[in-house]
Amino acid sequence: MHFFRAFCLRAGTFYLVWWVMTEGDSSGLGPGAAIVVLVSILSCRLYPPSRHTLHPVGALAFAGFFIFRSVVAGADVARRLLSPSLPVNPGYLTVRTSLPAGGPRWLLANTLSLMPGTLSVRLRGAGLELHCLDLDLPIDEDVRSTERKVAGVFGLKEAKAEEGAS
Amino acid sequence: MIESVILATQVLLMVAGCLFFGVGTLGLFRFSDTLCRIHALTKVDNLGLGFIALALLPLAPSTAAGFKVVLIWIVALAASATSAHLVARAVRSGEKAGIEKDSRND
Repeated sequence: MHFFRAFCLRAGTFYLVWWVMTEGDSSGLGPGAAIVVLVSILSCRLYPPSRHTLHPVGALAFAGFFIFRSVVAGADVARRLLSPSLPVNPGYLTVRTSLPAGGPRWLLANTLSLMPGTLSVRLRGAGLELHCLDLDLPIDEDVRSTERKVAGVFGLKEAKAEEGAS
Repeated sequence: MIESVILATQVLLMVAGCLFFGVGTLGLFRFSDTLCRIHALTKVDNLGLGFIALALLPLAPSTAAGFKVVLIWIVALAASATSAHLVARAVRSGEKAGIEKDSRND
């Protein structure tokens, strides 16, 4: 049942992508359906459905957060670049994440690369090594808020015990 | 009236997007180390491409074509985040290997 649900969800997403790629051409919808079924089978074999499922409300909240923070990130780097003194204070910082391994951690690492002042360098277990453009920024706070949004996407309850231990 | 407002917004967004791309490229010259350069390229270009995609949306002939522009932005973002991570990891491994090599030579 779990497998069937993941299959339907993926097939739906792929069909939407197909519709977008063919720009809604009605003559492509038939062959598209056949290809989508084949691709979904392949996808479920290569990447078996994990126990993490996407939550639409959390995903929307994440999208809003992401767009807002990427504007801040771009403006922040642009401001530093355009000021004559080039105010940066780069360095490495390792943070511990309370997110479970797999999709959530991967999404956190990739999101942090596009957030203000952070670039994910290495992910080892629960430790995420970041390169920071300015170590004076409240990096840890930003990581926690991003973590909460990523947890929302997967409908995870916050792992408070682990967060307290870190 | 509304059309001219949309056109003005489009031009504004387009110019802003191009400026951000320009600033991102400036980062390649002004920053001295690889990782800071990646900061400039990923974040500023993400924003630049986002502005240009937004400017193109009203021109889309159909809903699907509009979604296609958004899809291009999302895929470019995923590619830029992943490649940034891979380059950063390679740089970091190189640094660590260099330190170990130096300490062996001492």
